[in-house]
Amino acid sequence: MSILADSFRVAWIDLAFIKRNILVVLVTSLVTPALYIVAFGYGFGSGAEVEGFEYIAFMIPGVISISTMTSCFNNVAQKVMVQRTYYRSFDELFLCSMKPLSVILGKSWAGMIRSIISCTVLYAIGLIITKDMQFSLQAVAVILLSCLTYALMGVVAGMMSNSHLTLNLFTTLVITPMSFLSGTIFSLEALPEIAQGILYVLPLSHTTECIRSTILGTEFPWISLAITLVYAVAFVLVSRHLVMKGRNRYG
Amino acid sequence: MTDDIIIRGKGITKKFGDFTAVDNIDVEVRRGEIFGFLGPNGAGKTTTIRIMTTLIPPTSGEIEIEGHTVKGLDDPVKEKVGIIQQHIALDNDVSVRENIRYHAILHRIPRKEAKERMDRLINMMGLEPYLDRMAINLSGGWKRRVAIVNALIHDPSILVMDEPTAGLDTQSRHMLWKLIRELNSHGTTVFVTTHYMDEAEELCDRIAIIDHGKIIAQGTPEELCRELGSFAVEYVTEGSDKQYRYFHERSEALQFRDSLPEGAQVTTRNTNLEDVFLELTGRENTQAVQEVEYRI
Repeated sequence: MSILADSFRVAWIDLAFIKRNILVVLVTSLVTPALYIVAFGYGFGSGAEVEGFEYIAFMIPGVISISTMTSCFNNVAQKVMVQRTYYRSFDELFLCSMKPLSVILGKSWAGMIRSIISCTVLYAIGLIITKDMQFSLQAVAVILLSCLTYALMGVVAGMMSNSHLTLNLFTTLVITPMSFLSGTIFSLEALPEIAQGILYVLPLSHTTECIRSTILGTEFPWISLAITLVYAVAFVLVSRHLVMKGRNRYG
Repeated sequence: MTDDIIIRGKGITKKFGDFTAVDNIDVEVRRGEIFGFLGPNGAGKTTTIRIMTTLIPPTSGEIEIEGHTVKGLDDPVKEKVGIIQQHIALDNDVSVRENIRYHAILHRIPRKEAKERMDRLINMMGLEPYLDRMAINLSGGWKRRVAIVNALIHDPSILVMDEPTAGLDTQSRHMLWKLIRELNSHGTTVFVTTHYMDEAEELCDRIAIIDHGKIIAQGTPEELCRELGSFAVEYVTEGSDKQYRYFHERSEALQFRDSLPEGAQVTTRNTNLEDVFLELTGRENTQAVQEVEYRI
């Protein structure tokens, strides 16, 4: 039995939910990134240039990067936490013969799909409104990697949270600050070196660099790609550890 | 006979910090029987079931199913077991049909076969009118029926039920008892936990009683009653609460009855499982220590 095929079996119920609620999913996936573009792109950054590009072209890859994180993380973490703590249906996955990795990946797919929807629309808007942006398959690949990384982070958070309150706390203390401070809507080079050093610890700084470089056609930051991969592997290992210890489940 | 043992738990212990929820228990369930696992709240029944179904790892000990030691979450032997958990576990934000189909998919049942099984089980549980309803909109009894279909969709040879009738109305309880007997008559081994003695007496071929994480008695209901004394004398004397005495011989029970002071209210009857349970686990409602919820 293949891990990947099983992961799609695990994801089936979450995909059924998306299919059933497609309009709501589309609206919730698109409104926030659209607001970012309007408010920051046209509101604050109109006519400005950053790192030699139109501000809107600099910012849209950042907003895509934010979307990969917030959309994947929120959807996956909420689902996993609710299915574990409220529906208690998460246990049902382990009543079948199922590898932990299949469950971890399976719980990531639905969040990734929602994120891919918003990233696709944002990327398309960017290609239309600014000629500094370009379409590249490398960009698609790093966007997918970024989605996967944050979906895996969502699995970890969903397994470790027992209520909306703890999950909201994580979002407030980690996700929201990371959204704004990881060079998404302004260049990290504008900050003092110490601040840059701290912010380069965050995964979003690296996924943003990867996505931006592939969309704007600048030199690809291989180190950022490696660090993103390290984060993804770390999230897999932590969630697998939680599954194996049974600590992901309601007792 | 080793072949007769379909589930064997050996030396199962589970500790949550300093609290020992399950304390070195051995359980053997024979093929084709209905095995009852009784105990007061917090005695360790659910923890034992969760260990036996690999939902939580034991601190020590091992489980064999069909002679195969269960290793890991992806052990194929798990497909032989269907489980109805104490808490009804459905995805509330999708329909009943989607919930059932999901379980068929998780168990890798080919589409055509899954449809046949779904139709048969849905019909058996009378779920047709509810198939397109969201699971959240069903009453507890109907949710339980969906959970039963989910547990049976892969045609398990062992059905594990954790307090399946808790919170059900009388009709639903009787429907479930009938279903359990029917499945058992077709060869399904049933492992059921309950704290309803009438349920255990009605259904179970053999019983184990667990208290404070230890198995304190095991046998058929008749054996357990016989061990305590088949004849019970229930009496109230002036200024005292109801008291019980058990005797192996009817003549002893009658002799004791006659020795009670005049005016005492006395009932002489056969010992039942409730007597056994209360004698072994205590008649006082001590509100047994609740199992520690295993969460972060």
